[in-house]
Amino acid sequence: MENSGRRTFLGICMGGLTAAVAASAIWPVYRYLAPRSTTTTTAKVEIPEKDVPAGEAKFFEFGGESAVVVRRSGGGLIALSAVCSHMGCIVQWEKDRQDFLCPCHGGHYTAEGVVLSGPPPRPLTKLPFTVANGVITVG
Amino acid sequence: MTLLKRLIDWIDVRIGAREVAAKELTGYLLPRNINIWYSMGSILLFIFAMQVVTGMLLLIYYVPDADKAFKSVTFIMNEVPFGWLIRLCHVVGSNLMVLVLLFHMLSVLLMNSYKSPRELHWLTGFILFTLVQGISLTGYLLPWSQLSFWATTVATNSVGAIPAVGQYLVEFLRGGKLVGPPTLGRFFALHVALIPAGIAALVGVHLFFLQRTGISTPPFGQKETTNKWKGDGYRYENHPGGIPFFPVYALEDLRSIFICLACFLGLVFFFPNLLFTKEAFLPANPLQTPAHIKPEWYFLANYQTLKLFPSEFLGLAAQGAAMTLLALLPFIDRSPERHPLKRPLFMVCALGGIMLWIGLGIWGHYS
Amino acid sequence: MRLRETVMNLTGILSAVLLFALLPLPATAAEIVCINCHESMPGRLGEPVKLWQDSIHAENGIACNACHGGDPKDAANAMSPARGFLGAPQETSIPAFCGRCHVGVMHDYLASAHGKMLGRGGPTCVTCHSNHQVFKASLDLINEKSCGRCHSFERARLLRAAMQETEGMIVAMDQRLSAYNGKGMDTEGLEKRLFAVRNRFHTLFHNVDVEMVKKESAAIQGDLKKIQDQLTALDQERRKRKLAGAGGISAMLLLALFAHLLRKTYD
Repeated sequence: MENSGRRTFLGICMGGLTAAVAASAIWPVYRYLAPRSTTTTTAKVEIPEKDVPAGEAKFFEFGGESAVVVRRSGGGLIALSAVCSHMGCIVQWEKDRQDFLCPCHGGHYTAEGVVLSGPPPRPLTKLPFTVANGVITVG
Repeated sequence: MTLLKRLIDWIDVRIGAREVAAKELTGYLLPRNINIWYSMGSILLFIFAMQVVTGMLLLIYYVPDADKAFKSVTFIMNEVPFGWLIRLCHVVGSNLMVLVLLFHMLSVLLMNSYKSPRELHWLTGFILFTLVQGISLTGYLLPWSQLSFWATTVATNSVGAIPAVGQYLVEFLRGGKLVGPPTLGRFFALHVALIPAGIAALVGVHLFFLQRTGISTPPFGQKETTNKWKGDGYRYENHPGGIPFFPVYALEDLRSIFICLACFLGLVFFFPNLLFTKEAFLPANPLQTPAHIKPEWYFLANYQTLKLFPSEFLGLAAQGAAMTLLALLPFIDRSPERHPLKRPLFMVCALGGIMLWIGLGIWGHYS
Repeated sequence: MRLRETVMNLTGILSAVLLFALLPLPATAAEIVCINCHESMPGRLGEPVKLWQDSIHAENGIACNACHGGDPKDAANAMSPARGFLGAPQETSIPAFCGRCHVGVMHDYLASAHGKMLGRGGPTCVTCHSNHQVFKASLDLINEKSCGRCHSFERARLLRAAMQETEGMIVAMDQRLSAYNGKGMDTEGLEKRLFAVRNRFHTLFHNVDVEMVKKESAAIQGDLKKIQDQLTALDQERRKRKLAGAGGISAMLLLALFAHLLRKTYD
């Protein structure tokens, strides 16, 4: 019966295409569920230690955004995002007060990035860094 | 013997699988004049399954905390691989489910399949309809956007018009005087656990009743279109010489599901923003009401009705009356005639009611 | 309908009042005693309230005490110097007054030709921006009517021309980001970057130095390009998605066709 041959052919077509569609649906679900890599793909930035004397801050680009590394008068180093948490302006370092000031609306942060006064809702994001052989590596 | 046949034999001698297949699949006969409207039910089952799957996937990244909910949804939409796809499938799926449900109800209404002995199908179906409305309403709040927050405020406000207990009911629904974190908590529990379990259970009951009475015969193309059921004893509605469900109507069901999926994917990939306003992407701000908050399209008629009536209570009462009428339809309409074209009064009322609902909805959209 | 609307309004107001009473909020109009008294006062004592309500300060929850000091919750001591009340500033104190928050602009202004004329007929912040009805700054503030009050518009016209192109780019970028946000994209990071660029650019004006504007414009346009590149990458991503979608839809329609043909073989 010619019908039977047609039936088998159509059955295989339909089955095959359904399997392909199912496979193409499984891929996004797998990627959705898979744990995301925790290592950032942001390129690390290296800054020579001598570029950051005590009480001073050095601004640089990290991951496409402005960042800053500060050596406090006491000696400790800290790396922070320089993007103000209020509306995104870049903060400035005030050497005489050893704090950060945002020129847009007067927000003040401590050298550690904690909000002192003004409109910023959150502290400055801390950035991971290591120090070795006189070089600060941020990221 | 092929491996497959040996496997089937192994299962068959233990649970009689072949007997079940013969009874429910290849031997399950459907009326010869069956039409495409009869596949709405299986489309609904498919969409419900898809909602459950996408919903469970969303549960992995969604955080039901008023401070974190919006950010978690933004995270899903922008950072999680294919998160946007899962979320959009869930949103489009929910709207499609309501639409197909309305088609399903419409076809049962017009083909008069709610009549004896199928009153229980209609009743369970009606409860399912309200549950689907409930799951849509509760789900709407979860992204905690401006749209979510204020649409829920308007919707929960409306029950306040009920005399005496109205205000308390509003607070009970919200878990407080205003929409806030307690509302999110209870709506989340309802949306994710209670209502889906309710829908699954009722679908089971709905299908059980269907199994017991048998599929109805469409009144089209028949010489005799009156309801022959006497009510003197239980009898399964047979369709001798009919179409076997498997593989014949199963293929029609599949065809309908594939067409529905084509429309579904069209919306997901090409018109996702039909179902979002810009307030859907702003985090909820309890201090700022957006200018034009409207409910989803399937609630627009209710919204407009409330706006039209001078008293909120009367508006609610009118809608309550309409819903009660709908729920009790098999008991109100007992005429034996089933063919829609032989029932002019019924058709005028039914089509009139549907056009009123659509008209109110369109008005609600533009008002 | 009128009665219903009144009832709805009253319910809304009642809810709003309850809301303000029950939740801790940043100072808003309902809580500030300054507004309670001043809004019903006649003449120059009452005018500022209405003017302020339209302002960008009001939009962002910055009320009377943020600039004038004093206690916004205690009517008896609202204007007490002990509570930090500063009153209205003298003309020469205006830049420092606004500069308590708008630090960067104040520095630029004081170093400029305008700043050097402070107290000698030169403009203060209020001259161009007004004091209570402060709107979001735009290039429209540089116009013949405003600048022409003190000198010919020629210099200001040059400055405005120098800023026009970049300003146009910023406005276009802002609208584009807004459109993307309306489609569900997370634009918060990019919006912040655009704000920073916009602020850096607008601050530039206060130096009233055309050469400086031209020099900095290049750098600013470079920053804008970086934002634009990110948006372009997102656009490409969207196009790929649509392609995949078209593929999926075709597959579904093909499957429906197969199911239909297969069904037909049983007739």
